[in-house]
Amino acid sequence: MKSQQALNILLGIYIFIFFTYLFGPLVIMSITAFNSAEFPSVTPWECFSFRWFNEGKIAYDGQHLAGLATDWRLHEGLITSLKIGLGVVLLSVPIGLSAALVLTQVHSRFRTAFYSVSIMPVLFPGVIIGISTVVLWDRIASMGGGGLATQLGRNGIFLTILAQTCFISTYCFLIFVARLQRFDQTQEEAALDLGASQTQVFFKILIPYMMPAIASSCVIAFLASFENYNTTVFSILSDQTLTTVIASKVRLGISPAISSLALVIILITLTVTIVYEVLRRREDEKNRAIGSDALYAQTLDSRLKKIDKSEFSIPKPIFGVLLVIIVCIFSFNKLVENEIYGSACIAAKEKEKKSNFAEQLKLLQKNADKASQTSVQNGETGQKKEFGDIFGDPDLFKNFGGFDTKKKEDP
Amino acid sequence: MNYFFNKNGPLISTYLIISIGFWLIFLIIIPQLYMFDLSFRPNIPTLLRGGPDDVYTLVHYKHFLFGSETSGERYNYVDVRVFLDTILTAILITLINLCFCYPIAFYIAKVASAKTARLLIVSLIIPFWINELLRSFALRILFAGEGFINNVLIKMGVIDTGINFIAMDVALYTGLNYAYILLMIFPLYNAIETLDKNQLEAAEDLGSSMIRTHLRIVIPHAKAGIASGCTMVFMLTAGALATPVVLSSPNTFWFTQLIYQWFNMNDNWPRGAAYSVVLLTVSVVFVLLMMKIFKVKIGEIVR
Repeated sequence: MKSQQALNILLGIYIFIFFTYLFGPLVIMSITAFNSAEFPSVTPWECFSFRWFNEGKIAYDGQHLAGLATDWRLHEGLITSLKIGLGVVLLSVPIGLSAALVLTQVHSRFRTAFYSVSIMPVLFPGVIIGISTVVLWDRIASMGGGGLATQLGRNGIFLTILAQTCFISTYCFLIFVARLQRFDQTQEEAALDLGASQTQVFFKILIPYMMPAIASSCVIAFLASFENYNTTVFSILSDQTLTTVIASKVRLGISPAISSLALVIILITLTVTIVYEVLRRREDEKNRAIGSDALYAQTLDSRLKKIDKSEFSIPKPIFGVLLVIIVCIFSFNKLVENEIYGSACIAAKEKEKKSNFAEQLKLLQKNADKASQTSVQNGETGQKKEFGDIFGDPDLFKNFGGFDTKKKEDP
Repeated sequence: MNYFFNKNGPLISTYLIISIGFWLIFLIIIPQLYMFDLSFRPNIPTLLRGGPDDVYTLVHYKHFLFGSETSGERYNYVDVRVFLDTILTAILITLINLCFCYPIAFYIAKVASAKTARLLIVSLIIPFWINELLRSFALRILFAGEGFINNVLIKMGVIDTGINFIAMDVALYTGLNYAYILLMIFPLYNAIETLDKNQLEAAEDLGSSMIRTHLRIVIPHAKAGIASGCTMVFMLTAGALATPVVLSSPNTFWFTQLIYQWFNMNDNWPRGAAYSVVLLTVSVVFVLLMMKIFKVKIGEIVR
């Protein structure tokens, strides 16, 4: 038994490491959203600021880094994503429901085939669903001769809704199938015997019974649509959704504005998950109250150790929230005290960086001159792979005529 | 058919038939078939479609294997290598994920108390719903040239200059592992959860060692979950696009990126379709292989 305990402790450590791996990157990314530096980082900490949530900044090298509130691309992408999400929910939930209903009625000979076809979209790579939708609709559009079909076939939002519905319907389908398995068919029969029509049975008995599944499949369909990239990037054509905007931003050069966006999304996800969990727990408790006590006792016995129960009876979340608030206030005070928050700090850092940058430029230019003299063309001078070796070309600064170092020294 | 209408009533029957027909035929089957058809067509402008030049051809598949006719190489080493790299890496990542997740799934399913298990599962769900791109971005912050890991290592004095994780593909592999790890945990957890704890205790009482218990009892019981998790992770890894876009180095390609290039940059849709068909074939073969190896039905893989 003792070795068993040691093993459990080892397992516990492993779990801890695992969760650190899972959450660590997200936590660090969230922290970088508050660093005023242009490059999202933690360790060369400049100033604590909310600028990436608000206006962003013009970087010292002239590049405009928009903050969250001023980035119109993100806003447009967000609106497109919301539209698509709504469309996908409206299409995929009814489809999933009908497929699940038909599965219960279809002849057992065809059941496996029907089920296999229904779950196929999940097994297809997302890119392929996007591609196949686009190529098909391109053909339809070119045959449509300028009519409605052509307009639809060239509409990225419409195509994305169709492509996403293809596989998100399967998620809904699976949720509904799980719920339908516990459906008591005698209820339907009783209603029919009492003279209800089939349509009435559907709306008065089946739909109310399926309501929790409908709600959760709506949430899951929306989230799946919202965060999808692989399919969307093909089917969106010339439009932009939130994910494609993020992708193009990340590819062009990474800015802490993305970190702040991520933090917002993390917080929203957290809230949704907690609300969902609370609702679910409430329902579980209701079910448990209805269910027989014996079963309840039995499950308790096999799954719960008594010591844990007393430990968990303290309302821990409240203390946790309090602690977080206190830590936040305290650390914010510290930040203000040490003058690493606010515009003064940012201005000071800016100045320092600008002079650094001018020096670096001079150095680079010198290096470039030297490099071109010795005719080394292999890109050895590029120090930072991050920027795709733009400094690797020794003629870059010469042709450019040098940066306007005069302007940099102005302030 | 009559029975179907009688059972559901006319209104509901119409709704069921229309929505399912729309989904199965219009969204699933026809697009795939059309893509398959397109992959055998030459790359000609839309206006010429249906004309005399629009004949079936294997040119795109030939290009995948042997390269363009102008190149002197015998095989299309670049593309085939990207393809094999993608598949092998995906298999490797699947195996690593399996080893990583098995202890976690076992812990949550059998060792942890009900409340801890619930808490762990909920906290597993949270990162799962955060955009794959953003998760990759988080890793990119860690692995960048002047990123977190390099800075910490330099400060600790382990290394002098930053390691270029992105060029070494460490970042890409970690990102792929990170992105789909949860899709391995959930099927495993579901499978192990149904195992009767008495079986474990019986094995222990009979003097079976820990490893032996797992090999002989837990793993055979969880084989459907293992098959399901492996399939999902392999599919998503091989078909990943977001993570490679963010984390791959400029000279590493993922197969989906090749497809993307043929589509969006080189504007050769039939060739992109042909490459997609190749990827799809691999996926289907992998699913069938999994079903064969683990002797499970397709319904058990997707749940």
